[in-house]
Amino acid sequence: MKKKIIDALNEKARAIDRLAEGEQKTAEALGGPPAMPQGCTTIFDTGWETNPRPTYPTGNCQSSARDFHGCAGDCWWPAQVPDGLTNHSDFDVACPNIARDWRNLKYE
Amino acid sequence: MRWQPLLFVGLAAILCAGGAAAGERFYYLGYEIIQVIDGDTDAIVADIPITGASREVALSADRKFLYVATNRHLVHTVDLTQNRVVATIDLSNDGWDRVMFGFVLDPDGKTAYGGFMSRRTAGGEVVIGGPVVAQFELETGRFLRSVEVPWGVAHLVSVKGGTTLYAFAQDLYKIDTTGRELKIAETVPMFDRMMNILPFWDYAFDNGGVASMNYYTPEFMGLMLVDQKTGEISEIPLKGDPVMAYSVVLSPDRKLAYAVMDELTVIDLVEKTYLESMPIAEGTCYAVNVSGDGKKIYAGGGGSTLTVYDSKTLKALKVLQMASDGMDIRRVSF
Repeated sequence: MKKKIIDALNEKARAIDRLAEGEQKTAEALGGPPAMPQGCTTIFDTGWETNPRPTYPTGNCQSSARDFHGCAGDCWWPAQVPDGLTNHSDFDVACPNIARDWRNLKYE
Repeated sequence: MRWQPLLFVGLAAILCAGGAAAGERFYYLGYEIIQVIDGDTDAIVADIPITGASREVALSADRKFLYVATNRHLVHTVDLTQNRVVATIDLSNDGWDRVMFGFVLDPDGKTAYGGFMSRRTAGGEVVIGGPVVAQFELETGRFLRSVEVPWGVAHLVSVKGGTTLYAFAQDLYKIDTTGRELKIAETVPMFDRMMNILPFWDYAFDNGGVASMNYYTPEFMGLMLVDQKTGEISEIPLKGDPVMAYSVVLSPDRKLAYAVMDELTVIDLVEKTYLESMPIAEGTCYAVNVSGDGKKIYAGGGGSTLTVYDSKTLKALKVLQMASDGMDIRRVSF
């Protein structure tokens, strides 16, 4: 049984409470299935894209969409993009060009 | 005799229709597609459908076939005369699910080497295979022999006529291929020297037999050049604040190098310093290449553009909109 640790004290809070009734969990920490795919850290390059520049371009890849396939295909960032080695090895079929095809991205 | 001129015109038309005519072609390695760019006109002259996300490439000794690894477990044989895939093998076979990082041909032309991680299930349990560098048949995908290596092999370079493989991971492992079994003959430390390398692009055949990669230490960026003929490794620390780069290619005279990530950077290999660096208008690029005469630079991949630059002025001459995002751009001279 869910332990109630806070109580709604006014009508607005009670309305929010009612909205949450029957709500199921929608996010899960890494560790449950699907398990972290093998091969996510192939080499020692932590911080490769930590950009040291003080001026433009100050971010990492410009734009981030241009790095999407690189991040996904070899499973660099499996929490943020489809992991291309285990669970979504053919996601590029629907999205070969991310800037054009991103609306076709369908993965959980 | 009127048919003779017509015959020549017809032959010229066939050669110009995307086949491998004399000159050079650039192969844009994309996703579900490879696109062929003519080196003279910088126009896309052929599309080659392919299954998967392109990663590594090897060129046959006769320059007739490009072997393209996709999805880290497929190897496609691309006929460069016909501009089409003529064979495909899947290295996830014999019950193992494999991923390949690092791929080179053996000089015999019939086999190749890859760095592999593997997994399978047995009795409901996950079984993880040890990381290996293995030799396999190009026709069947059958594995012939292997040697266990430390985790993290990301790239292979074949040197000394294929008698030695350099396997790049946290350290560099030199693998002797001449005996009955593969064996690690030497380990060259990199990790303890605080070298950090992402060696996915080496342009060995584009550079005429010299693999070129960039690496970082906490203080500087350097270039690592591997002479495939002798096996000699040259480390070139560059003076000045490091630029960020995914890949680096050599100019034909080997006096300059060009590096890309968010910027296109020109490197003076004689003075071992940076000459110029400018943001790439289209954004981040993974890949860079140079024309055989050194006059044009090609930067692309990452996103779905390929920009052609004048190598002297760094002015963009042309921006090609490609069919897909891309991993690499490779040059083959015919």
